[in-house]
Formats: sequence, structure tokens, C-alpha cells
Amino acid sequence: MAGALGVFTEPVEVACSPAGEPVRLVWGNRTWRIVAEPVRWYQRRSWWAEEQRAEPGRGAGLVDHEIWRVQVRLEGHRQIRTLDLSRQGNPGRWRLIKIHDAVRSMSA
Amino acid sequence: MSFTHLHVSSAFSAHYGVSWPDELAEAAAAYGADALACTDRDGLYGTVKHLRACLAAGLDPIVGVDLAVRDGQGHDAGRAVVLAHGGNQGQGYHALCRLVSETHAGTRPAASGGAAGRGSGPRRNRGKDVRGPGISLDLLAAHAAGPEEAEGAAVLTVLLGPYSDVGRALRHRRYAEARRLAAHWRTVLPPGALVVEVVTHLSPPGEDLSTAHAVRMLRLARDLGLPAVLTNAVRYCHEDGAATADVLDSARALTALARLPDLQPNGQGWLKTADQMRRLAREISRTAGWGNRGAAALLATTETVADRCRMDPYRDMGYGRPVAPEASVIGISQEPAVELARRCEAGIDARLPGTTGRAGRQLRDRLEHELAIITRLGFASYFLTVAEVARMISDMGVRAAARGSGASSLVNYLLCISHVNPLDHGLIFERFLSRDRSTLPDIDIDVESARRHDVYRRIFERFGAQRVTLMSMQNGYRARGAVRDAGLALGLEEEDISAIAKQLWRFSASRFREALAEKPELRGVSGLVEQDRQLDLLVDLTERLDRLPRHISMHPCGVILGDRTLLDRTPVQPSGLGLPMSQFDKHDMDPMGMLKLDVLGVRMQSSMAYALDEIARIHRDKASVTAAGNHPADPAGSGPSYIGADGRIDLDAVPLDDEATFELIRSTHTLGCFQIESPGQRELVGKMAPRTFNDLIIDISLFRPGPMKSDMVRPFLEHRHGWAPESYPHPDLEPVLGETHGVTVFHEQVLRTFDVFTGCGLAKADELRRLLGNEEAEPRVEEYFRTCAADRGYPAGTIDKVWDTLKAFGSFGFCKAHGAAFAVPTYQSAWLKTHHPEAFLAGLWEHDPGMYPRRLLIAEARRMGIPILPLDINRSKDTYRVERLPATVTEPEKLGIRLSLAGIYGLSAAELKRIVAGQPYDSLADLRARAKVSRPTMKRLAQLGAFDELGRREPAALAGRADLVHHLDFLDGTTRAVPPRCRPIQGQLALPLGDLELRNLTPVFPEPSLAEKVRTELDLLAVDASAHLMDSYAPLLRTLGTTAAKDLLGLRNGTEVLVAGIRVATQTPPMRGGRRVVFISIDDGTGCVDCTFFHEAQEQAGPLLFGTRLLLIRGTTRRTGPRGISLQALQAWDLADTGSLPGGGATAGAAGARVAGPEQVGAG
Repeated sequence: MAGALGVFTEPVEVACSPAGEPVRLVWGNRTWRIVAEPVRWYQRRSWWAEEQRAEPGRGAGLVDHEIWRVQVRLEGHRQIRTLDLSRQGNPGRWRLIKIHDAVRSMSA
Repeated sequence: MSFTHLHVSSAFSAHYGVSWPDELAEAAAAYGADALACTDRDGLYGTVKHLRACLAAGLDPIVGVDLAVRDGQGHDAGRAVVLAHGGNQGQGYHALCRLVSETHAGTRPAASGGAAGRGSGPRRNRGKDVRGPGISLDLLAAHAAGPEEAEGAAVLTVLLGPYSDVGRALRHRRYAEARRLAAHWRTVLPPGALVVEVVTHLSPPGEDLSTAHAVRMLRLARDLGLPAVLTNAVRYCHEDGAATADVLDSARALTALARLPDLQPNGQGWLKTADQMRRLAREISRTAGWGNRGAAALLATTETVADRCRMDPYRDMGYGRPVAPEASVIGISQEPAVELARRCEAGIDARLPGTTGRAGRQLRDRLEHELAIITRLGFASYFLTVAEVARMISDMGVRAAARGSGASSLVNYLLCISHVNPLDHGLIFERFLSRDRSTLPDIDIDVESARRHDVYRRIFERFGAQRVTLMSMQNGYRARGAVRDAGLALGLEEEDISAIAKQLWRFSASRFREALAEKPELRGVSGLVEQDRQLDLLVDLTERLDRLPRHISMHPCGVILGDRTLLDRTPVQPSGLGLPMSQFDKHDMDPMGMLKLDVLGVRMQSSMAYALDEIARIHRDKASVTAAGNHPADPAGSGPSYIGADGRIDLDAVPLDDEATFELIRSTHTLGCFQIESPGQRELVGKMAPRTFNDLIIDISLFRPGPMKSDMVRPFLEHRHGWAPESYPHPDLEPVLGETHGVTVFHEQVLRTFDVFTGCGLAKADELRRLLGNEEAEPRVEEYFRTCAADRGYPAGTIDKVWDTLKAFGSFGFCKAHGAAFAVPTYQSAWLKTHHPEAFLAGLWEHDPGMYPRRLLIAEARRMGIPILPLDINRSKDTYRVERLPATVTEPEKLGIRLSLAGIYGLSAAELKRIVAGQPYDSLADLRARAKVSRPTMKRLAQLGAFDELGRREPAALAGRADLVHHLDFLDGTTRAVPPRCRPIQGQLALPLGDLELRNLTPVFPEPSLAEKVRTELDLLAVDASAHLMDSYAPLLRTLGTTAAKDLLGLRNGTEVLVAGIRVATQTPPMRGGRRVVFISIDDGTGCVDCTFFHEAQEQAGPLLFGTRLLLIRGTTRRTGPRGISLQALQAWDLADTGSLPGGGATAGAAGARVAGPEQVGAG
């Protein structure tokens, strides 16, 4: 359920629209354009197993985190890839957590 | 346009909601909402708090409930939110209340008040429980249709949301089933009542509450032509609450988080802002392919539904309007104010006949004053109702007395609600009620504890079940319960949680971390937390659960009275008592205009009632009661008017000035007397030597933590005894403070001081008093006081001094009316002890009202020379009874108290009932046959000597108690219970053969010694009846050279003595300066010795301080007053540990130690 978080993650830079939706991202020193409307959801975490503390007043992000599934294309390329990004904080830090139709694995 | 949340659970949804109504209302107001719903699970538990929060935040309240619904076959149809329609003179709200009550009809009652906080009761009712409350769809429809006046228009809106059967079907894409189910809801419910609720928590595609799920709901609504609204199914105010909701889910299901199958999909169930909700609407609509127009329609429908559910708290819900039972029910036909005045007149004739002159004028003025305020506030029917309850209780023959500030009212006295005349004691009506206070005053009635439930039932009968309900109380998480449930959520081992939970004691869970750092007893736990990550989380979760409501239970004394519309205004559910209880608690009463009576059970009232019954039973007529009680008789020889011809004493009519009673109080032999039996109070009455009832009021008011700590008592006593001159800050205060010799003790004196110095009037003075100690308001009070006092010409120095007193008073003052109300049973119990000690002590043994073990009160009887009559199978009943002992050659006729069979260890209630019903018995066989007494019980009865008398009647029987016990012990197999065919049929008399069994017993064993008998009594009855436990220590004590308690008073102050006895009380009151002082009282059979252990002595005593029952104490005498003496302890020993005793204790001690070690004494 928690996907591949913690296994393949790497920070990415994401540019957002004024409404807060991602439009572009920089991954592997290349700029990818988002080509379809992204899908967003909040994924539950097993915080009681993953966290050290859960003090009252800690705020958002303990029980779930925000996931965006985006379809991206490199400038001048036709191949479209589907990526899952997680956002922590708003505006926040973005991490790439899953590559759906990856031909090569992240760790290779 | 803003957005209105229609589905919001507050913290009052036990084990579900996280946030308090005021947090939610403030958050909603902050994002610009103008209305907010509260839809708690299964009840309107948070509704009134929601109402207040909305009024404070400037929102229109919307009220509803989240209910489990069942279809026609009783199958689970999921949950639905039901909202009341507003603006219809309460039709919607009334239907909602009735609906919620119906949902709970026939459910198992919630845990009763007693076990609150222990967790066992409610725990069993949660989780795997059989089904909780639920409503059938048909009944829901019937309530939604409203009354006939509504003419078919629905008065409730039902939200069909993701948790309904329809929502669940769509979650799994069972479209046909969903359509069929939804069509059924629509068919059954009245037109316009059904609305589809669309929710997205933005959970991952395919899960509950995903946007796709919301889209399916929205499409279904369009397909069926049903309106659709957007909610966020809110459980917490902010994102931060999501983790708390997880823990509550775990606690509800009694399952660790890691194993919980139906966790919320994520943490998005918070009170999102209007902007955020609009964005959700757009997202859903866009996904459905309807663009922004679809979103606008969804939001607009939400507001349309919200608008029809806006409540007018006043016109729809009766907010703030007191409602008393109808005049016809309380038996009056005219205007309540007129009737009240008439009954007060009648009260003057009955209670204060012949009051004339100045006193008569005062009486008239006061009555007029009180009636004017009561009439102006419209509370006449309230007073008549309370009077009716009081009359009803006294007609039941149950003792009752008003407690608290109600004693300030002359009207209450004249209506026989209270038994103190406020004019006699300077009690101020404004302390109870003034024209500036529009809330109903509290009148608390103390009744006999043993009859409290009877009184409740009678109130229901008298006023009708539609007008009465019990009040409930909210039980919130405290440290122990919170740590248990937090540990459960984390999946910690049961033993580990228990070990930690045991360490926690009565501090708020939110201060867990702080307490870990501070409290020495938690040092072990705090070490664990540092080591273990999970324990760190445990602390965090415990803090999150702090104070959250867990369940409601019956309030220990609150009864709500109303008119026949009461159940339109509060939902009810079954209580542990079998009577309905409101879902509202005491904080909801005033806002909802509910008339609440506190009917408290007081054991002392039961004890005194029992004593009065015994007096009448044993003496039978007025003359013998008068003689036995040494009551004053007139020259014609007739006794006082408070004794009836049948020997029944009207205790409330006994004058409050009996000299013999005050003599008893001054003697400090006040064990068993209400309020003045504790060691500290015995010392205080010894010092103060009360002479009048007013002295008793002062005594009770002084004996509070505040005055004791702030050293008010010493100057008071010095002035009282004339050791120091009285001083007043100003001569104008002499009349105000005279009764307490210049020391401010009472609220009433503060009120008068304000009035004298500012001329503000007593009503305003009470308002000012209430602001004392309030950090924000006090500076304003001070300024007002100083300005007005200066204007009236008081010198600056005096103003300073008086203000300092008033300011200091804020923390510890006591309402004199409370003291007066308490002093009545204090005086009455002392009066009974003085004049009818046998009956009084029998009442104490029977109802056990005080702070001491029963054995001490039995020792008190022995000290007073009252014979304690042993158990006897034919004379002992199931109660402690006074018995007449015929005169002998040497002694006149006496009264003694016969021990009750009820206290015997292991004797079942059924056995007891059979034994008493079958008395008398002429043989053991007769007892076995008719009372079917079990073998262990037979043996215990024999051990306790209950058959001794039977044996004595048998001239040929030579065997004694020990032989009989031995015989019964080895009887196994020879004599079983009589087979059914041989049992006597009813009415058949046993042959008068005498007791062959006893007669044929061969005497072998010697009679048990007195010491052995005492030991058996302690083991089986938890009392020492045949002799005082200390008697067997007499040789040892002679060797040691101890002083008896009764001889201490004859010693000089500062004499060093040894005393010995059994511990009867240990107290560690808070002390100024922080150094702990321990008071230990021991009983040696001649009385109590109260010993004070200061720091050094505590060090000396070490572990003996709290653990030891039998103590030898060395100390110096300390005179506390004309009749009071106590001991300042220097050193202590365990009397049972003979080797450790000083001097020659070791040899002589052996006998005593064998008789009774500390473990037997502990049973008391």
C-alpha cells in the first residue's frame, strides 16, 4: 500500500501552476514537461511504525502524504513516462518515488 | 458564497471525533462560514456545546446525528447523517430528539456512574460488541415526516453518504445494487428528505472516499434525480487530529493500529476551508466530466440544504428558557406566584408561629424581598416543583435536607425544602439568587443513601415519565485509561502497559511528559521512555487522548424535570438503573432551560433514619422515649412536642440548642458524628468548644483546606477565648465580622463588607465576590472598591487593609449557607449520640457512613458501656438491632446492640434471607432443614458462637463451642442435607425433641479463650466484638508502661508517654511550607490517640509510618483545648514485632502477638 517509498526515492525539482499543480520537472538534469492532467491523492502511512514521535500539534504529513501521478515527456521526444511524485509541505520538497513504465531501474 | 459543513463529528462522538465544538466553530468562523453542523455519532452528545460555540462564534448552528440504519429485515444498511430542519418552531429538532431516543430504545445501558474511569464496563461495550444503537429505515422515515401540523413536509434531511449501504455498493462498483438500494431509501422516506452526500478525502484511486467514489455518488444522484451535497465527513478540526482519530479507531475496535483492517484511508477528514472545499467540488465535477457548472450546482445545493437546517436556538430549541412542570401537575390551579406566596404564609404558621414585633417585621420584609425577586425572574413554578419533590420525599418517609446555598432562602425554609432559618444565621438570599442572575438556582437535596433509587422511581411516577429523566455525565480519558488505549494502539504488551498504567495516578494525560520529568514515583517509567522509541510514541498518544470523552453514564445525583415536552427537547437512552437518562450533562442544563435537581444519597441520613426507627421500635411510646433519652418533660410529665405519641422522633423539629449535645461535642467524643469525627475536627472542636449551633457552622466552615492553610484558625481561636483582643479594620465592620471575632470566614461577610464600603447592594456584591481571584476582572473590582470606599470617606489605610482581606479571601471563603446546611445533620447526629447512643450506633454499624472502619465504632460502644450482644442464630437478624437487656441483681435494665448476621464472611444473601425468615430454630437439624444453610456457613456460625445459646438451652449438652466446630468440621459424609422427601412441608412443626445433635456431642475440647474468640471475629466478621483487640495485649502494655487514651487528658502538657493501639486513620493534609505532616490515629479500646508525626518522627518511623497496623508510639502530650489533647510523636514501633520493642517487651509480648497479627486487623 505504501508503494515504493523509501526504496527508490530521489529529489526532483518541480514547477507548479498558480493553483499548485505541477507543470514541469527537472529530473536527471533534464527538463520534463507534464503532458496530461495530473492525478493527486493522499497516501496513508504506517506512522506508528515509521515515526519516532507523534506529539500533538505536529501538523500535517504524519498520517498521509500527498502523491501526484504525472505523465511527462522530454522536450523533443515522443515517449511518455508515468511518474509518481510525493510532495512534503506546500510549497514543498518533491521526491520521485515511482517510475511506472521504466525501462531501467533507478538503482542501476 | 461560503461553504457550510453538514457532516461534522465533535469530540463528543466517543471514540470517533477528535475536536471540541468550540475549536470547530472558531475554525469555521475563521474561514468565513456563517453556519456549521454538529452531527455526533449515535446521539446529540455535543449538540448543546455546539450551540454555545456557534453563538459565541457568530454562526448559525445546524444540528444532526450520525446513525446506524437497518433495513426492513433488520440488516445493516450502513450509516446516515440526519439533520433537523430549522425555522419551524422546533418541529425538526423535536423529531430529531425523538428519533435519537428511539434509536437507543432497548439497547443495553451504558456503564453506571460508579465504575467511571476504570475502563472495564465501557471496554466490554465496545469493539466486538453485539450491535450498538440503530434505527430501522421505516422508523427513520416516520420521524422525518414530522407531526401532522407539518402537513407532509419533511422535518428532517437524511444524507445518504459513502458509509451507507448505497455508498458501500458504489465503492465496489456494484451500480445496479446501489440504484436499487437508493431507490428504496427514496421510496420509504418522505418527499424531499433524501439527499445524496458526496465526499472525497482524495484517497488513492480504488479506495474508500477516493474522488472516483465521490463521482459515482454524484452520478447516482443525477440518475435518480436526487439532490447532492458536498461534505468532508469531518472528524477533526485540523490535519493534526488525524493521528488522534487513528488511535480512537484502534481503541473503539480494541485492536492495534497495525492489525486494524478499516483504518481511515488517510488523514483528510478535517474541517477544510471554503476554498479547499470549492476546489474539491471542481475536482469531482471535472472528473465526472461536468466541468465547473457541475461544481457550482453541487455547492449551491449544499447551501440550500444548509439553509433549511439553520436552527434558531431560541425558537427551535428553547435555548435559555427555563421550563418547569405544568401547574396542574404540581397541583396548583392559580398563578404560580400567588400560590407560592400562599404556601409561604402557611409555612410561617407552621414553622415560625407567633413571630411578632421586630422579628416579625424582619420576617415579612425578607419574605417580600425574596418573593419579589422570584416572581420577577418567573421562577415561582420552579420553587413549587422543588417543594413538591421535597414533600413527596418526606411523604415516602425518607429523610431529606437541602444542602448548599439553598439554605440561604427563607422561601426554601418555609416550603420545608431546607431546615435552616436563614434569618437566624444571617444568610443572604442574594448568595443563592438575585435579580441579576437569570439562571435557575441549584437546589441540592440530600436523601438517605439507601433510598435514593426509590426516590428517583417515585419522582418518575409522580411527574410522569414524559416529564422526567436522569441526567448523564461525560466520562473523559484520564491518564490511566489514555495510556492503556495508547499502548493498545501501538500493540504494546498488556503487562508492559499495565506496569506503566499502575504508576499513573490522577494527573491529566496531557501533562504526562511533564509529570515524567517531575514525579519521583514515575522515575522508572521515564527511564524506559528514554530507552524505547515506542514508549516515546506512547507518551505522545497518551497526550492526544487526554480528556476526550469515552462514554456517558448516569450522573450520581442529577434528575431533570420538565413539562410534557421534555423528551422533545432532550434525547434519552437507557441508564444502568433501568430509568432513561438524558444525553445532556450538567453543563447543558442551564442553556437548555432544564430544571435539574440534585438528589444525593447520604449514608448519614440513612443511619439516622435507622436510629429513629429503632428508637420507636424499642420504646413504643412517647413517655418511654422521653425517659430513655432523658428529654425534658413539662411539669405534667409530658415529653417534648418533637416526640410523637408512638415514640417517633421528628428529628427536624428538635431545637438546635440542646446543652447536653454541645457538651458531647465539646468532650471530643464525636466518633460517628457527621463532619466532626475526623482527628482534625476532633482537635478543632476541642479547641473551639462550641456552645451554639452558630459555633458549629463556624467550626465546619473553618475546617477547610483554605482556612487551615492560611492560618485563619489560630487568630480566630485566640480572639474567641479572649487571649488576644479582637480587632476590626473599621468600626463599621463590627456588626459584619463580630460573630467570627474580626476574622472573615464567610462569603456572606464578604458580601456585607462590599456593601458597607461601597453601598453597592448585596446582589452586586455577590457579582463582585465571584470576580475575586479572576486575574482579568479583579483589577476592575479593586478600582471600583477603592473609588467607592474613598467616596464614602473611608481612610486610605483602612481601604488597603480591607481590600487585602477581600483579595485573600477569594481563594478560600466558604458560603455560610453551606456550613449551615451541613451543620444540621452534624447537630442531629450528635444529638442522637447524646440521647439515644444505642440506636445511633446501631444505625452507624448498619449503614457505615463515616471514615472509620466499623470495628472502631464497635469499640466506641464498648467505651460508652453499651453491651455488644454476640451473634445468636435466633436473635440476630439481617440488621444491627437494639435489644433490651432485663435488669439483674446488680444492674438496671439496659439497652444493647445485637450483632447482625449480615456481616459474616461467605454468607450469601439468599442464605441470610432464609435464615431470618425461618427464625426461631430449635436445633441445628432444624436450621439445616429449613434454612438450607451450607456446611461452611454452619461451621462459621458455630465458630462465631451463634449456636452457644442453643447449646445452653440443652441442659444435657456438655460440649462447648470448640466441640461443635470440630463436629461440624468432620461431619462430612455422615449428615448431608435432608433429602427432599423428608423435608418438612410448610406449616409442619418439627417434633419438640430438642437438639439431639448437641446433646450427644462429647465434650473434648476446651472452650476457646477470649483472645481466640476475638481473633475468629476479626477473621469472619472483620470486627472485634467479644472484647477489644488490644485487651489481649494488656500484659505486654503493662510491662511497657503505656498510658491509656482516656488517661491522657489528665496529664500535663508536654509529658512524655508511651501509647499503643490499632491504627484507625492516617492523613497527610497539605501543609503550608511544603513539609509533609502525617497524622496517625490509634485506638486502644479506651479512646483514640491522635498523633502528629513531623519530619524527624517520620524519619524515625520509616516504613512503619504507613504499613503497620499495631503501633507503639512514644511522644509528648500537646494540649489543644479545654478537652482536647493530642500527641506529638517522637518514635514508633510495630507492636506485633515484639523483638524490636523498647525495654522488656520481648517476653510479655508473645501472648499478644499470637492472638492477632497485623493481617487480621487489616480486614476492618
